[in-house]
Amino acid sequence: MLSINLIRSLKLYKNKIWSLDFSQGILATGSTDRKIKLVSVKDDDFTLIDVLDETAHKKAIRSVAWRPHTSLLAAGSFDSTVSIWAREESDGRTFEMDLLAIIEGHENEVKGVAWSSDGYYLATCSRDKSVWIWETDENGEEYECISVLQEHSQDVKHVTWHPSEALLASSSYDDTVRIWKDYDDDWECVAVLNGHEGTVWSSDFDKTEGMLRLCSGSDDSTVRVWKYMGDDEDGQQEWVCEAILPDVHKRQVYSVTWGFNGLIASVGADGVLAIYEEMGGEWKVLAKHTLCHGVYEINVVKWLQLNGKTILATGGDDGIVNFWSLESFGKDRSKNAD
Amino acid sequence: MSEFLNENPDILEENQLPTRKEDSTKDLLLGGFSNEATLERRSLLLKIDHSLKSQVLQDIEVLDKLLSIRIPPELTSDEDSLPAESEDESVAGGGKEEEEPDLIDAQEIYDLIAHISDPEHPLSLGQLSVVNLEDIDVHDSGNQNEMAEVVIKITPTITHCSLATLIGLGIRVRLERSLPPRFRITILLKKGTHDSENQVNKQLNDKERVAAACENEQLLGVVSKMLVTCK
Repeated sequence: MLSINLIRSLKLYKNKIWSLDFSQGILATGSTDRKIKLVSVKDDDFTLIDVLDETAHKKAIRSVAWRPHTSLLAAGSFDSTVSIWAREESDGRTFEMDLLAIIEGHENEVKGVAWSSDGYYLATCSRDKSVWIWETDENGEEYECISVLQEHSQDVKHVTWHPSEALLASSSYDDTVRIWKDYDDDWECVAVLNGHEGTVWSSDFDKTEGMLRLCSGSDDSTVRVWKYMGDDEDGQQEWVCEAILPDVHKRQVYSVTWGFNGLIASVGADGVLAIYEEMGGEWKVLAKHTLCHGVYEINVVKWLQLNGKTILATGGDDGIVNFWSLESFGKDRSKNAD
Repeated sequence: MSEFLNENPDILEENQLPTRKEDSTKDLLLGGFSNEATLERRSLLLKIDHSLKSQVLQDIEVLDKLLSIRIPPELTSDEDSLPAESEDESVAGGGKEEEEPDLIDAQEIYDLIAHISDPEHPLSLGQLSVVNLEDIDVHDSGNQNEMAEVVIKITPTITHCSLATLIGLGIRVRLERSLPPRFRITILLKKGTHDSENQVNKQLNDKERVAAACENEQLLGVVSKMLVTCK
């Protein structure tokens, strides 16, 4: 077992942090209080650089996502809209983001937003049981809905894209994960992953090239790994549950993340952060940390790259973002993790 | 036809609701007495023989005299009387100071939620037996740095009661506002008391749905009304 060490703790809100995303040295967070905060992270310097206009949304910010390789941010809110924010042209010394667009369409709470790896598609999901796929231009100013996916029978909690292919996974209150694929601009459900015995709160794809796998975390307190087996005659994908990860969590698992280092991390209502490693085809608990946000629940976990190191960030009901490193015998493992 | 569980329930009077035993026995036996030293002695005696039929407790006057003999003479200096007091406390089985300051039990949870108004009756959830003391489970070490749990099973007044979700939400909001953050709250319908039990249970314990409901002003207005009667 390795140890998980706290690098830095940032108290950003009085309320719940629902979501966080990190890109190009900037951490974005969304909270119940409708404020999106941006924190610049460079070396050991963590600075709050901007708080986005809180009047843009009338209810909690549930999800934030950076468009890959840009300074464009999407935010989904319980007020049923999605906002798009862009960095203001400036001398480069100050950092300020302005509201670029508001996307309407969902009937009620937006729960998840996610950009495709090439940045041309934005997927959004909602309590209205649907997933919408939006196409956008280079500047991210115009958004055209190209597909409304309505096969889930209940709220859709979370959406995530494959790291390179045009493949989307959505997690739902109907206890399933659905996989969606693009057939000539027509998005179709190609697989339903059945097995969880409660709401599926989030999922994440394996980042290994040539490996089509997905991990998922659920209200049933388990984390599962699913594997693509091949296509059948009708163009449907066959997926099987390859593993149920070792039983660590005692309550709901709210977030999972699959790192470029091959490790899966999960967090949940029990305040536990667990990291799993696959060894000889079997998943083992590599490290575990309890009370990561005191007695508060953890809503989100993400692997991120900082100064060439692979670290973890977690956001909790205490309004705090914590950064964690993975270490063994006093040696920093994250340095040569990938 | 749905099965009527407790439509036409026996409505309980406020003073019939379960309360902390100590308090009621104190009231019963001591009336208006409020001398702390006497109170402590009596609770000590109550611990020795808890039943109200205890011969000793039946004769309050004799008991009083008995007790007053043990009261340290009033003229002793403070320093002298101190050890006597602490001795008393230790006999009483760990005085208040030794207790976990923050330990929360089922009765405390009950007191927080029993006075919530039913959304359609002019009565409280306690009076309607929607919440019952024996259906509240608390796991709490009292340590504010450890997680604690409360599980509440509610009994809707009828098996198809459409307001079960609202009642559950009211209870959750009340507890989330009143309990320390270490508490994980689980609210369930008592088995067999509702037609769509699983559906309601899932909704009541979905953190995101509850959070969104709490931003719905109309819904929050109804819940606030239910909570007005809380003490």
